[in-house]
Amino acid sequence: MVSSNTTAGYGALREAPVPKYSTGIAKVVNSPLYRHTLGAAVESRIGRILLLAGVPMIWLMMLHVGPIYQMLKISLLSHYPVQPGVESRFTLDNYAIFFRESIYFTPLIKSFIFATAATAATLVVVYPVAYYVAKVVKPQGRSRALLLLLVPFWAGELIRTFSVIMLLANRGAVNVLLREIGFIDRPIPMLYTSFSLGFGLVYLICLYMLLPLYSAIEKIPSPLLDAAADLGAGPFTRFRRIILPLSRDGIVSGCCLVFLTCIGVFATPMLLGGPNTVLFPETISGFFHGASDKWPVGAAFALIMLVTALTAAAIFMRLVGGRKRRAI
Amino acid sequence: MRTLFSDVPRASLTAFYWAFILYLLLPLTLMMAMSFKDANFVAFPIGEWTFDWYVKVMQDKQFLEACLYSIMIAAATTFAATTLGVWIAMLIVAEGIRGQVIIFALACLPAVVPGMISAISLRIFISTIDMPTGTAAIILGHTVHAVPFVVVMALTRLRSMPGNLVDAARDLGADSVVAFFRVTLPYLGPALVGGMIFCVLLSIDDFVRTFFLGGYRPTLPMLIFAKVQGGMSPEINAMATLVLVVTAAVGLYAEFLTRRARTR
Repeated sequence: MVSSNTTAGYGALREAPVPKYSTGIAKVVNSPLYRHTLGAAVESRIGRILLLAGVPMIWLMMLHVGPIYQMLKISLLSHYPVQPGVESRFTLDNYAIFFRESIYFTPLIKSFIFATAATAATLVVVYPVAYYVAKVVKPQGRSRALLLLLVPFWAGELIRTFSVIMLLANRGAVNVLLREIGFIDRPIPMLYTSFSLGFGLVYLICLYMLLPLYSAIEKIPSPLLDAAADLGAGPFTRFRRIILPLSRDGIVSGCCLVFLTCIGVFATPMLLGGPNTVLFPETISGFFHGASDKWPVGAAFALIMLVTALTAAAIFMRLVGGRKRRAI
Repeated sequence: MRTLFSDVPRASLTAFYWAFILYLLLPLTLMMAMSFKDANFVAFPIGEWTFDWYVKVMQDKQFLEACLYSIMIAAATTFAATTLGVWIAMLIVAEGIRGQVIIFALACLPAVVPGMISAISLRIFISTIDMPTGTAAIILGHTVHAVPFVVVMALTRLRSMPGNLVDAARDLGADSVVAFFRVTLPYLGPALVGGMIFCVLLSIDDFVRTFFLGGYRPTLPMLIFAKVQGGMSPEINAMATLVLVVTAAVGLYAEFLTRRARTR
């Protein structure tokens, strides 16, 4: 209402009204429907807060917290989905099963070892690349150097996993190349082993390591390095005493991100792994699909995995001592 | 002597960078090359080259339907996630609201929970509210996944916004709603478009949530997954190449947009 007045006044000073700003929203705002509903609501403080916080809070509570809460609830029930005639009661059995049988906790341990190894490998491989882009490349070339690294990541999880098969299969590029050279007679079985799974994982997740590392290393002031060099520190000393400690934030957040992604990876083990590389997500998935439909056990296992993964990440954060406060 | 000494790490870093690029691009290049192989099995060397697989894929009804289905889900997800994400971001930057740190933590929760667990918890959640698996459940799951990213992107942009812009709008008589639609939203503009494209890519790419929440209609990743498990054929390569080219183009465009938003 008022806004359209000001527009008209402004327009009258010039010759023509400014139609661009007096259509659409002004029409809606001036309509009686708006003025009696939303327009009235935002007049009061309570109305404003409700309008601002209502939908977001409902969404956050329902769908960000709700699923985890429901999972917790069901993991404590003896039967779910509830069948007629069977009473569902409170129990801790679903958690006990996990500790009783080694076919259940071995995959979790394997998952952890895999995720840790993949995280460490990613860190070692990606660190020099991040350092190169952040410090060696000239500032004007940086975004291009970074972009080149980003391109493969628009391919998506499944396609990247699939493309690893092309490289490692028995008649894939590596084996065929090695045979052409005469290095081997028979193809090395690389696919469907721990090696292919690890290779695929690192290939899949290195971006999550690259970006935090890059932004941390980029922030290190270059004069600091020059000063150290002038004072006689060699490349190794400079790396150990300056670059490594100052990029700790990036290492911590990159490692946590990669670790948590690795733990929850599902499609990659199914495509690249073999019978010896059954990881925990696959075990959990068995409780939801297939013949043995035991949702409460699956929910309990998922929670065990969530808690251990988050605890491991938190311990790592504490040990390496990253940022004290998560940046908002 | 000194220059020689300091150039050795530099040269080796450069070499390492290019080796890494090769590592990133080689599998995808091989995957694309294989789509031109004139035989119905996947093996190197390629030998005869052909375009037939593309012709076959373009006539594959299942593939085209999966494409449409994926695009439909991505569009709905993007709309929902952008609306909710911006709304939550507005709540976090609003004055006079307490507990912003908690709200932010809650908003980021789905990004911290590993994908597999998120998928399972959503599967349980929709069954407790008696929602069937299928399109609506997939959209819900993808939206939960995408919201944190929109929140973070919108927050970054909102924090760089001069506060007096909204004050000026208020002084000129706009109420909060009008000020949001006329001042804040246009200011968010370019960053938001970048975020929306990111949502599209997240949704089209997502496998694990769709796997648990989906019905019988396959999305693109589900179709490719089923075909890979069913047996290798250059046809899958042709499909994957088509998807890759389109998503990479969209991603490049998003990168361009966000970069422009940052420099403006």
